[in-house]
Amino acid sequence: MSDGAPEPRRLHPATLIARWLKVVPQMLAGGIGIAAAARDQGAGRFLLFALVMLVLGGVFALVYWWRFRYTVGASEIVIEKGLLQRQRRVIPFDRVQDIAIEQRLLARLFGTAKVRIETGGAAKDEGNLDMIALADAHALRDHVRRGTRPAQAAADEAEAPEAAAEEPVLFEMDLPRLLFSGLFGFSLIFLAVISGLVQQLDQFGFVEWDDLFTEERADAAANMVSFRLVFGLAALVIMLGVIAGIVRTVTRDFGFKLTRSEAGFRRRRGLVTLSEVVIPLRRTQVAVVESGLVSRMLGWHRLSFQTLGADRKEGGVQVAAPFARMEELLPILAEAGFPAPPPACEFRSSPRRALIRRLAPWLLLAGALTAGAFLFDLRAGIGALLAALLALGAALRWRLHAHAEDGRAVYVTEGLLTRRLRIMPYEKTQLISVSRGPLQRRLRLATLLVDSAGASATRPFHMVDLDTRDADAKADRLYRAFLSARALSRSGPRHA
Amino acid sequence: MQPDEYQDEPSAMTPLNPSQIKVLRIRIALPAMVATLAAFLLDLGPLRETILPQLAVPGAVLLLGLLAALAYPPRRYRSWGYKESEEEIEIRRGRWFRTRTIVPFGRVQHIDVAQGPIQRPFGLATLILHTAGTHGASVPLPGLLHGEAEAMRDRIRAKIRQDLV
Repeated sequence: MSDGAPEPRRLHPATLIARWLKVVPQMLAGGIGIAAAARDQGAGRFLLFALVMLVLGGVFALVYWWRFRYTVGASEIVIEKGLLQRQRRVIPFDRVQDIAIEQRLLARLFGTAKVRIETGGAAKDEGNLDMIALADAHALRDHVRRGTRPAQAAADEAEAPEAAAEEPVLFEMDLPRLLFSGLFGFSLIFLAVISGLVQQLDQFGFVEWDDLFTEERADAAANMVSFRLVFGLAALVIMLGVIAGIVRTVTRDFGFKLTRSEAGFRRRRGLVTLSEVVIPLRRTQVAVVESGLVSRMLGWHRLSFQTLGADRKEGGVQVAAPFARMEELLPILAEAGFPAPPPACEFRSSPRRALIRRLAPWLLLAGALTAGAFLFDLRAGIGALLAALLALGAALRWRLHAHAEDGRAVYVTEGLLTRRLRIMPYEKTQLISVSRGPLQRRLRLATLLVDSAGASATRPFHMVDLDTRDADAKADRLYRAFLSARALSRSGPRHA
Repeated sequence: MQPDEYQDEPSAMTPLNPSQIKVLRIRIALPAMVATLAAFLLDLGPLRETILPQLAVPGAVLLLGLLAALAYPPRRYRSWGYKESEEEIEIRRGRWFRTRTIVPFGRVQHIDVAQGPIQRPFGLATLILHTAGTHGASVPLPGLLHGEAEAMRDRIRAKIRQDLV
């Protein structure tokens, strides 16, 4: 590492090519609209325009690379960038929560990597080094980790970048399992991609839909529609969905390997884009074990951790094992310091009267639609049936939403098709709240929420419709458990 | 109304400053006045085309606004309360959706004392506690005397321990 005064460094020269490849399509996409508008002016003008874009893209890439400097100091990293509006960012190492190393295809060709420094702040691109040499990336990460914990420096000195290979492996997936797990990744995302593409074409006026779809053609198409065609099409869509799922899973999880590193878990995966992420154990908040309908019946689960200040792309959730047996997950949980979930009989669901609240809207709707079917139009009966089905789903959701607590953590299960078990150790509590809506008050019910750092906004960690007395007592109990768990961890070995 | 232990122990909670009722009144009265004015303007124009008698609509809007400004604030005020303890603060709020929130001081990231234009003439302020959580990312406690809010902020700040684990 750098002795004496640290020197500012530039990004790897390959950045030029990567930036250029990144900037040009963006500019071209914007330009295509203009080009399309000026279509009659001939191909010459279009070519000229494309050439200008290519050169301009190169200039932009060069300026970016030229004006980007980073300095790795003894206790902080300084990033300077920008041509006219110069931006200087100082990130002290003790604020760094995570350093992710990612290698896209291009980066792999050049032996470089993108380094993302996470500090848990609100800003999205807090510290991105895109790209530096892979060896530099590893060195930087080790250096930062030493900076965060000076006491460990000596122990870390021995750890070479390749030390990862000798770290104990917690979870690994071989190819057959990876392919098998892809079967459950069924995805219709390609439909969205196709429709998006069609919309783009439409927008730029390359295709005139009015010319393409005339009434005569529509009639002709209508005559060709048969059951065989519909079934064939459905089969095709499903097949493509399965293939898309496998492709997506394989590209993402290829070579999945979770190892125990000194600070936490190190996860490596990816086929085209290699990514390496360290999940620092003291940043993990909640453990999530989830499984879809079919994979659950076959005994496969997914384990992930909600972490503080984690990768925002994945919503603060880091996958630790994408497709594993329960007996494979438990050691990982234990290694992360999370207790194993208690047996199913320990879980309690909400009181029966909570069903009223869950069912009331759907049953009312079903009743109204049934009346409508008799009075006005029989077709309303279909709606009534649908509402009744939704009511059934709501009832099942009530049954599946259960909670348990033991000496170390709170456990909550939920979900109808995808079932989710979440484990939250008491000491991770940020805030506890008990709330009661108008209908809940009538039924003497309350919802207890236990907030944690980096919690999902759409899936709060809560226990819905507890008995109002239980909810208050439980809130107080969880709060006291939090206090004593914290007192315990405070008296134990401290970090930083 | 159903008996509910939520209201069983109001004595244990510190109420907000009574001036908060006036603040709430103004907060309702201001938009009500704007709505009345809009209704009055409508009354001069489009509403004349209908069979509605003159001034009926703006009158109704004004009456509703006045009723709301008179009846609602005291109830809303009573629904608020807080209890500051050694290690945590407990805040109760809401009439329709009642919430009881426990914020451990050890989890407070930072504290704001905010004072809006309506609060200022009454010397009131809002204490806002920020945690690292998602749903309780910021917990407001309005209707405190500005000096008291600042004193509370200083008391809590002294107890904040800066670790995130």
